[in-house]
Amino acid sequence: MSTASAGLAKKFGYKNIRVYLDGEPDWAKAYLPTYATHDFIKNGNVVLVDVRPSNEAVKGRIKGAYSIPYEQLDDRLDDIARNAPVILYGDQETLDAVEDMRDDGFKFVSLVQGGFAGWIASGEAIEKGPIFNTEIRWVRKLGKGEVSLADFRKAASGEDKDAVIVDARTKAEVAELGIFKNTINIPLDEIPARMNELPKDKKIYVHCASGARADMAFKELLKNGYKAKFLLLNIADAECDCEIIRP
Amino acid sequence: MHKSCVKFLPGLLMIGLLSFGCAQKEDVKQDMTPKTGQTKQQVQKNVYKGKIVGKSNLAKTISIEVGKGKQAKIMMVKFDDQTKGIEHAIKGHAAIITFEKRGNDVYAKVVKQKLAKLPQGVTEIKTEELSALVTNAHKMYLVDSRPASRYGQSHLPGAVSIPVPILKEKQAALLPADKNELLVFYCGGPT
Repeated sequence: MSTASAGLAKKFGYKNIRVYLDGEPDWAKAYLPTYATHDFIKNGNVVLVDVRPSNEAVKGRIKGAYSIPYEQLDDRLDDIARNAPVILYGDQETLDAVEDMRDDGFKFVSLVQGGFAGWIASGEAIEKGPIFNTEIRWVRKLGKGEVSLADFRKAASGEDKDAVIVDARTKAEVAELGIFKNTINIPLDEIPARMNELPKDKKIYVHCASGARADMAFKELLKNGYKAKFLLLNIADAECDCEIIRP
Repeated sequence: MHKSCVKFLPGLLMIGLLSFGCAQKEDVKQDMTPKTGQTKQQVQKNVYKGKIVGKSNLAKTISIEVGKGKQAKIMMVKFDDQTKGIEHAIKGHAAIITFEKRGNDVYAKVVKQKLAKLPQGVTEIKTEELSALVTNAHKMYLVDSRPASRYGQSHLPGAVSIPVPILKEKQAALLPADKNELLVFYCGGPT
C-alpha cells in the first residue's frame, strides 16, 4: 500500500518521497509508541487502561477505562487477554507501560491520541468517582470463517446432525492423542485429494491442534464450494471440553 | 492461544490495490501494463506470486494467496526436504513459489522472497531514521496508507490516515501544498 501511495504522490509531482517499508509492526516492535483514535477507543472492542495513580483516576477518567496504576500493572497483566487491543493513557509512566506490555507478549498496545488532556480538550466523555469495574472483561469476536466453540461442541456431541467435523491433524497426532466424536481425520496435506469424501450440503467444521492448519484447510474447502468454518482454539485447552475417543 | 491466523483483469486491478500490503506494488505495476499473455505464461511456468497466508511444518504445506481482489485464490502447495528457500515462506510475507506437479500433488521447488519495488526516485527509510525525525519534530508529512480501521487501532505519532483508494480519489488535495515537503508513506509492512 505504501509503495502504491508513493507512486501516486510521485505522479502528483511531489519531489521528496520516502517509504517506511517496515511499517507500523516494526515501529511497535522497536518499542516506539503508536496511537489509537478517539473513535476506535469509543467504538472498538478494546481494553482501555488508565495507568495513573488511582486518586487521579477517581478525579476523572475516560469513560469505560479500567484503572490499573502503573505500580500494579505487572500483577494485573494476566487478567488481560494477550490478543486484546489494549489502549493505555497516563502520565510519564505510559511509555514504560507500553514497553512492559509489549515485552510480556501483548500483540496490540497503543496510546490515546493526545492523551487524557487531548481527550478532554476534544469534549469526549469522562466519568468521575469510585471505580467499580475492577474485573477486566474482554471477549474476542469471531474472525471471518471461524466457528464458535458452542456450535463446534454441538457438532462434536452429535446434537447438530447437519455438521461434519474434520480433524486436519496428522495421523500420528490422532494416534497419540485421540480424536473427537463424529469426526473424520483428513490431514491438511491430504485435503485437496480427499475433500470429495465430504458432503457439500452440510456444514464442515475443521479443527487441528491450534487453528493454524484448520484455517488453511478451511480456505481450501471454501474455495472448492464447501460450507466450511474452522475452529481457532488450542484443543488442549480446558475450555474446549469436547469428548475425546482415546486411542 | 493460537500460533497463527490470516490477487487479472485491468478492471479488477483497482480493487486489488485497495486491499493489499506493501510488497504488492510490484505485481500491480506489472499488471497495469496490458500483458495478459504474460500472466498466462506465468501460470504455465508453475509460479505462484502473492502473500503467504499459512504454513504448517507438520503437514509440510504452504497456503499462498494469488491473484487480485475477487479473483484472489488461495493455493495449497506442499514442500519437502528438496524445497529450496522454505525459510522465505513466512505467514503475512509476500513470496514467489516455483512449483511442480507430482501426481495429484503440487510441490514447491523454490520459495523466494518477493521484494517491494519502490518507484524511481523514492527511497526507503528505516525505523531508526524515522524515529529520529519524529523525535526532532522534523517537518514532514507522515501518511498511513492502510485502511482507516487499522489506523484507528494503532498508528505512528503525527501520522495522517490516507488509505490508498482515498488518495486515488482525492489526489493531491490531501497532501501538502508544497511539493518539496518530505512525504513519508507507511503501511503494515511486509507482514
